[in-house]
Amino acid sequence: MTSYSKEVVHDLVSGRLPWPQTRRIMSAYKDDDRFFKYIAVMQDRVTWDDRILLPISDHLFICQSADERVTKCECGHSFGDYRRNWKLKAAINVRNTEEALSEIYPNSDIPDPQWMEIREFICPECGTLHEVEAAAPGYPIVHDFEPDLEGFYRDWLKQPLPQEK
Amino acid sequence: MLNRSASPARLRERLLESEQLMETTGCYDGITELTLRSQDPLKFETLHTKLRAFCVSAREMARRISASPGVREVGEMVVAIYTPEGDAIALSNGIMVHVHTMSRFIKWMIRNGYEDNPGIREGDIFANNDAFIGTVQVPDVMDVVPIFYEGTLVGWAGAVCHELEAGGITPGGDVCLAQERFTEGLFVCAEKVGENDELRRDYVIRCERNLRMPIYWVLDEKAKVASCIDMRESVKALIDEIGLDYWMKVSKEFIEEGRRGQLARTRHLTVPGKYRGHTFYGHVTEGKPGFQPLGDPNWLYNIPVEMEVSTDGKITLDFDGTQPWGYHSMNCTPAGMDGGMFVTLTQHMNFEGLVNDGAWMATELKLPHGTWTNPDNEMVATATSWALLLPAYGVFQRLLSRGFLARGYVEEVFVGQVNSPMIEMGGKSQYGTQFGMAHFECAAAGSGALAIKDGLDTAYVGWNPESDMGNIEIWEQTMPMVYIGRSIVPNSGGAGKYRGGCSFISTWVVNKTDHLRLVTSEHSSRVFDNGGMCGGYPAPTCQKHRAVRGSNINELAEKREPLAHAPGTDPHVSDLERRFEGEHVTLEGPYITAPHKAGDIFTHSYNGGGGYGDVLERDPVKTAWDVENGFLTQEAAESVFGIILSEDDDGMPVADLEATRTRRAEMRKTRLRKAIPVEEWIASERKRVEAADFAPEVRKMYASAMKLSPRFASDFRDFWKLDPKFTLPAE
Repeated sequence: MTSYSKEVVHDLVSGRLPWPQTRRIMSAYKDDDRFFKYIAVMQDRVTWDDRILLPISDHLFICQSADERVTKCECGHSFGDYRRNWKLKAAINVRNTEEALSEIYPNSDIPDPQWMEIREFICPECGTLHEVEAAAPGYPIVHDFEPDLEGFYRDWLKQPLPQEK
Repeated sequence: MLNRSASPARLRERLLESEQLMETTGCYDGITELTLRSQDPLKFETLHTKLRAFCVSAREMARRISASPGVREVGEMVVAIYTPEGDAIALSNGIMVHVHTMSRFIKWMIRNGYEDNPGIREGDIFANNDAFIGTVQVPDVMDVVPIFYEGTLVGWAGAVCHELEAGGITPGGDVCLAQERFTEGLFVCAEKVGENDELRRDYVIRCERNLRMPIYWVLDEKAKVASCIDMRESVKALIDEIGLDYWMKVSKEFIEEGRRGQLARTRHLTVPGKYRGHTFYGHVTEGKPGFQPLGDPNWLYNIPVEMEVSTDGKITLDFDGTQPWGYHSMNCTPAGMDGGMFVTLTQHMNFEGLVNDGAWMATELKLPHGTWTNPDNEMVATATSWALLLPAYGVFQRLLSRGFLARGYVEEVFVGQVNSPMIEMGGKSQYGTQFGMAHFECAAAGSGALAIKDGLDTAYVGWNPESDMGNIEIWEQTMPMVYIGRSIVPNSGGAGKYRGGCSFISTWVVNKTDHLRLVTSEHSSRVFDNGGMCGGYPAPTCQKHRAVRGSNINELAEKREPLAHAPGTDPHVSDLERRFEGEHVTLEGPYITAPHKAGDIFTHSYNGGGGYGDVLERDPVKTAWDVENGFLTQEAAESVFGIILSEDDDGMPVADLEATRTRRAEMRKTRLRKAIPVEEWIASERKRVEAADFAPEVRKMYASAMKLSPRFASDFRDFWKLDPKFTLPAE
């Protein structure tokens, strides 16, 4: 069975693993124990103690926080109950003018701001840009991911879902 | 021998029985146990690998028969072997989109009584390019031949080539001007085009008289037939070796194994749950010649996608809430949507080669009737359906990638594909003859970023995983234009911690012709048609066309004065305007104008990929390399990425790490200062929604989506806390 050390998983996740090794990992059969090593690497990366149950973005995690499960930024900021869309508790910057769009797209290829805007969803505490939506004005904010956490732990990981931190 | 009829077991009944067995047992053809695999796993695997080898070898041979640079250079071809009921057992590499579209074609013939008339006999050749029967668009022409063994139908061999010229209202294959089926080109609707292993002469004559460049189509037909015969004979030789009973059983076990393998991969690589995303496509044809006033000239499409991964590993994609079909060339059929799904799965979950229709059976598509994904009118045009298919399945790639990311397989996270606008042309060639063709260098756009590295520059498209732009010299042989530039477009990858792959732009001078028609397609010219991920930005996909009619390039060249080789990045004045005299044209969206002639200059650019992660986390050292090599401008590095560069002794850019840290800290502060709480933004935006204060195209998009989808309407009203009867007025 394929398996990699926690150090290799750490380097892979951080984009520091040399390309030839990364390429071999991409071509090989996937390692069965990746999720647990990945969670351990992520847990080392954060400065808080809440147990990470599932990463859902580059710096966002679903965690067991006391008796609640919440979506949390890597900086420790909580966006509340993981079943609610974390974006609704974020800070937002909307680019809906030619000037604001040109700050990100300096060539002449910007969308018509009457037809499309860029929405930046930001952690109100550390300022990390967590997600960007490109949408028509008036388009409802998308709830990107609603994981079946119970089903995942019970049926796929064959492990009890941690109840407390 | 060659006139022997099909096996006594009626194919149509067998197909229905097979589908019934799948329905009742949940397994392909009722195969609940992989008995042969258990008995001798080595023999089982060896046989599957052999079948795959038959396909790969047949395709390579056929590519050398083809005259088309699309097939020879770029590999726009795929072949596969099917069961008698039309389910794919094994396939080659190439445009794997078509493995299940060909399956639909075979099943369509079976369901429509082809056994009786026109009959299915040994040596017959059937062809199709009708998307409502089973393909994506008219230029995707497929041929299948039945495989008989001692009088019994034991399978089919099939091949598809993308034709460079389809005989439509405008030259080329992706006929942008087609607004109904009747202008798309030459249709071959599940037709028997050959007998006794030979193409019928009357069929070839029809092709020769209805196409601008029949040599491509006709030689591709011969290439496809040769590959089908090659696969057929290989399968027959294999049956000699293993016996007919074993073949009939093992070929089906391969498919059931493929189905189980796909379910297992989903369970291994993702997380169950609901994933959502969307993309848009905005098209402008107002004032362009040739478009009939059948509908709105300008329109905006929303493409919401919801993916559900169940705990048994099944993937369901739902397009509820998207737009109705329209009088344009970008509609798609369920066959095309199947194709998009299949080619995505083969790239992201089944890339080791041992893949077949079983993978497709482990998924489900929900395609709302009446939308562009499943039109309720078979007269609609689908000539450029990739325009909407690519953005739609780019969303699918991002949704799958969210699952890979959550599971820890970060090396598989891929921000997705983008459109790669095509250029089609015709008229008088540089040799003085009539010609028509599609230029396939578009098979090398920028890819989306990965979660661990930048996207591929000028090296990826979703529809052909082999992604090859072909050689300039080969393309120059086939068209009356010569390249004066083919260059990276700086800043064309979506910004992010890992940037999207950059695109390229070609600049040509029209050569040795007084009549060159240029038409382009698949432009989302007014909105971005892709996205970024995890904080990365979408790639800029709103490029414009530039041309110079009656340029003074020849005089400049004679005087040995400098030429412009690309338009450059200045948003106000292009390098073409700086260097060349003549009539300068800048055009948004599809390029369709009066014919060009020798001395005119034309540029066409492709798309870059979306970015991944927060732009302020990008590696400054890597960015200096990007600037040095023309992937980013120094101004963009500083203003977008917050990376300050200085110069080394040789004048090369080097990252100033300290200044970068300071600049980024300021940018982060500015970001927070400018941002407002989302709840506050929703409260103020709600007033705009309630007043329907949008451009007419945006209003119309919402009105259409709400009319077609009660769920979209209800979600929209709930999100903005609107009256349950709220609708948007649309002109």
